[in-house]
Amino acid sequence: MINFFYTYQSLFDHILVYALLAMSQYVVLRAGVFSLGTAGFAAMGAYGTALLITKAGWSPVAAIAAGALLGTVTSALLAFPLSRLRGVFQAVATLAFVQIVLSATQNWVSLTNGALGVNGIPKVASTPVLLVVVVVVVLLLVAMGRYSVGRAMDVIREDETVAVSLGISVPYYHRIAFIVSGALAGLGGALQATSSYAITPNEFGFSMLVAALTMVVLGGRTTVWGALVGAAILTSLPELFRVFADYRNVVQGILLMLVIVYLPRGVADTVLGRMRDRRLRRAALASAPVPEQKPQIVNTNMEAGAHP
Amino acid sequence: MSATLVLQDVARHFGGVPAVDGVSLRVPAGQITGLIGPNGAGKTTVVNLITGLLHLTSGKVLLEDRDVSREEAPDLARAGVARTFQNIRLVPDASVLDNVIAGFHRHEKAGLWANLLGLPSARAETAELKRQAMQLLERFDMTALAEHRAGGLSYGHQRRIEMMRALATNPKLLLLDEPVAGMNDAEAESLAGIFRKVAADGVAVLLIEHNMRFVMSLCSHIYVLASGRLIAEGLPEAVGRDPKVVEAYLGA
Amino acid sequence: MLMQQLLNGIVVGSVYALFALGFTLLFGVNHIMNMAHGSVFMWGAFAGLYAVTMLDAPIYLALLIGMLAGGLVSVALDVFAFRPLRRRNAPEFSAIVSSIGADLVLLAVAQKVSNTAVMRFPFDAFPVVVFNVFGLRIQLLQLVIIVLVVAMVFGLVWYLYRTTFGQRIRAVAFSEQTSRLLGINPGPVNMQVFLISGALAGMAGVLIGLVFNSVHFAMGEPLLLRAFVIIILGGLGSIPGALIAGLAIGIVQTLAVAYVGSGVAEAIVFLALFIVILVRPTGLFGQSTAAMRIQRA
Repeated sequence: MINFFYTYQSLFDHILVYALLAMSQYVVLRAGVFSLGTAGFAAMGAYGTALLITKAGWSPVAAIAAGALLGTVTSALLAFPLSRLRGVFQAVATLAFVQIVLSATQNWVSLTNGALGVNGIPKVASTPVLLVVVVVVVLLLVAMGRYSVGRAMDVIREDETVAVSLGISVPYYHRIAFIVSGALAGLGGALQATSSYAITPNEFGFSMLVAALTMVVLGGRTTVWGALVGAAILTSLPELFRVFADYRNVVQGILLMLVIVYLPRGVADTVLGRMRDRRLRRAALASAPVPEQKPQIVNTNMEAGAHP
Repeated sequence: MSATLVLQDVARHFGGVPAVDGVSLRVPAGQITGLIGPNGAGKTTVVNLITGLLHLTSGKVLLEDRDVSREEAPDLARAGVARTFQNIRLVPDASVLDNVIAGFHRHEKAGLWANLLGLPSARAETAELKRQAMQLLERFDMTALAEHRAGGLSYGHQRRIEMMRALATNPKLLLLDEPVAGMNDAEAESLAGIFRKVAADGVAVLLIEHNMRFVMSLCSHIYVLASGRLIAEGLPEAVGRDPKVVEAYLGA
Repeated sequence: MLMQQLLNGIVVGSVYALFALGFTLLFGVNHIMNMAHGSVFMWGAFAGLYAVTMLDAPIYLALLIGMLAGGLVSVALDVFAFRPLRRRNAPEFSAIVSSIGADLVLLAVAQKVSNTAVMRFPFDAFPVVVFNVFGLRIQLLQLVIIVLVVAMVFGLVWYLYRTTFGQRIRAVAFSEQTSRLLGINPGPVNMQVFLISGALAGMAGVLIGLVFNSVHFAMGEPLLLRAFVIIILGGLGSIPGALIAGLAIGIVQTLAVAYVGSGVAEAIVFLALFIVILVRPTGLFGQSTAAMRIQRA
């Protein structure tokens, strides 16, 4: 399935589109929302855009905007019921959503052309366009993560009880994360359609769902850079290990298992974290001639049983 | 004068088994009230009932004379109820400063879109919150550690971060769930000084602790909980000598 | 005609129930959604098929081999995908991600081994005998399936409620901490649970392969999604729930395929899942059947 892209879409373009999908997945995971729905919203964006151009004669730019909007509206509608769910239930519900969309694109032949897909989509999303979009999205997400929304999401992700005790409305932020995620995925799908001449239903199925998840698991889910790094690694892996081409899925699967066990915060987040710690340690040594006070921890209380 | 927090005959049953029963207490503003009892007495259950994490089976909770028995946790938090947790719950990968700033959430005024897009109003507010958070860090003598990863600090420091976060909410009622567990006397004493200051600022403080000595020196009024029921209450010296209390602790 | 479809639905539904039982057992005891369970099922089918085509095994032996393969793959999953996470006290999210990764590996290997082909059991693998009862065509295969599933369910219930091993499993399901305090080692218990659920899935694989006359590497995916519907509808960790919901889904699906076409039938199943999760995530049997419950407290 991914090979199909390479013939019509340069590797770099592919990385850019997948970066958008990775960022869509990152937003929900950062807020602790276990949504796997990115592929479904991408499908809506892609098909919305493709059909509007090829069947309704819309201008490509308008169609892309409409595709992104379709992803946004769908996720907004789903956000309300889904913000009442948690963890595994959110995962399964969004998985079902992806399947429903997949079924629709495969079987509603009169609208979507079924398994044959939609062809002849003008390649409007050239590399510079994709690059600009990705940069703008990155800037927006960095901003989002830096102020109250990002702060609230971090607390919710780490510990929902604490979030509640601080007066943070968990469903509210779940919804925001979900809608932003849907918007990004819709945009990614729309751009995918307009950068690869054709789309088929299976592109937006299980393999895209897993790819989006893998990228964020690989790179990290607490910063945007995690999503970008993950996207870059995952899409260039097959190129680097051309000898493994056949076993790409095996490699992806094993990678997923290894990373989640041994590097659960992801490559980028772990590296950034270590760099920050090193910087702080150096600053502390440089500025403070007196060593840092580390009070003695002595259990004065037999029953406390507490330990750092 | 009415107290900030009043519990009237509060009970919580789990499938017929009473975890907490017939608890009535008053936590007035400007003082530190103690809630002590042996392990498993139900102290944390009481805290969870007050903060809305658990629903009451019967009884009433009044916050500044308002019946809040049916309110949900986030609403209570927004009404000015703050708590610290028995087991430390911080965001380990975030900086000390970011952990504390989270406590300001209920006071944030900048709009959603301003924060989503990083508009000047959001930036200004975040800068202001950083400043206020640094003031708290100064009070707790942790300014040098502002940017450090909270998860990598010592237990004593982490406890202080929890306190700062709770204080950042600017609460009317502060529930301290075993805040000095596992600390040595010197650390506990420095925190005690901060508790006294907080109470003096007009906050109603409910201190839940095991450490009898610590509680005695700090509280103006003490309630003793054992097996989910109040077995004694009163001035520290009196409670300390009450035979029922002694038995509950030794016989537990 | 309707009766015929109902019968077909019951047969398919009972196999779904078998698959879902293993799935719900895992959830009830370990509190994880094993996303690779579909591949366990598929590998059971593969093992059964290869036993017949390459080893000339009689069908009942192939069935046993399928169960064994399912059990082994399932245990391997525990060792490689779940145990390292349990050791590290990792959050729920990690377990699901890890099982997705494992699923990918299992799928990829199966795809390579089978060359993406859709394989079939040889025509004479199972004796083709048809009974005519009151105008209904009942195949021997269908009867055997129903009998087998009933036997398996009874066996499982007996094992869980009448043996010490089963008692330990239920204790761990209730509370791992408490069972540790009681001296129960969760390690062997977990292995048993994975073994049993894998064996059930493997058997389901062979049976589905026979019923639908097709075995291919992606056959587990749609089943996994149906299993979600079933266990959420029937209640997580509930045995009777899995049974009744399994039958219900089998019947609904068969009728839908017969009357509305397979594409729409798929969509109906997922829509059902979606709605059930939103409306009543604890399932129809959510709080009621506490008796046959193996769920974590």
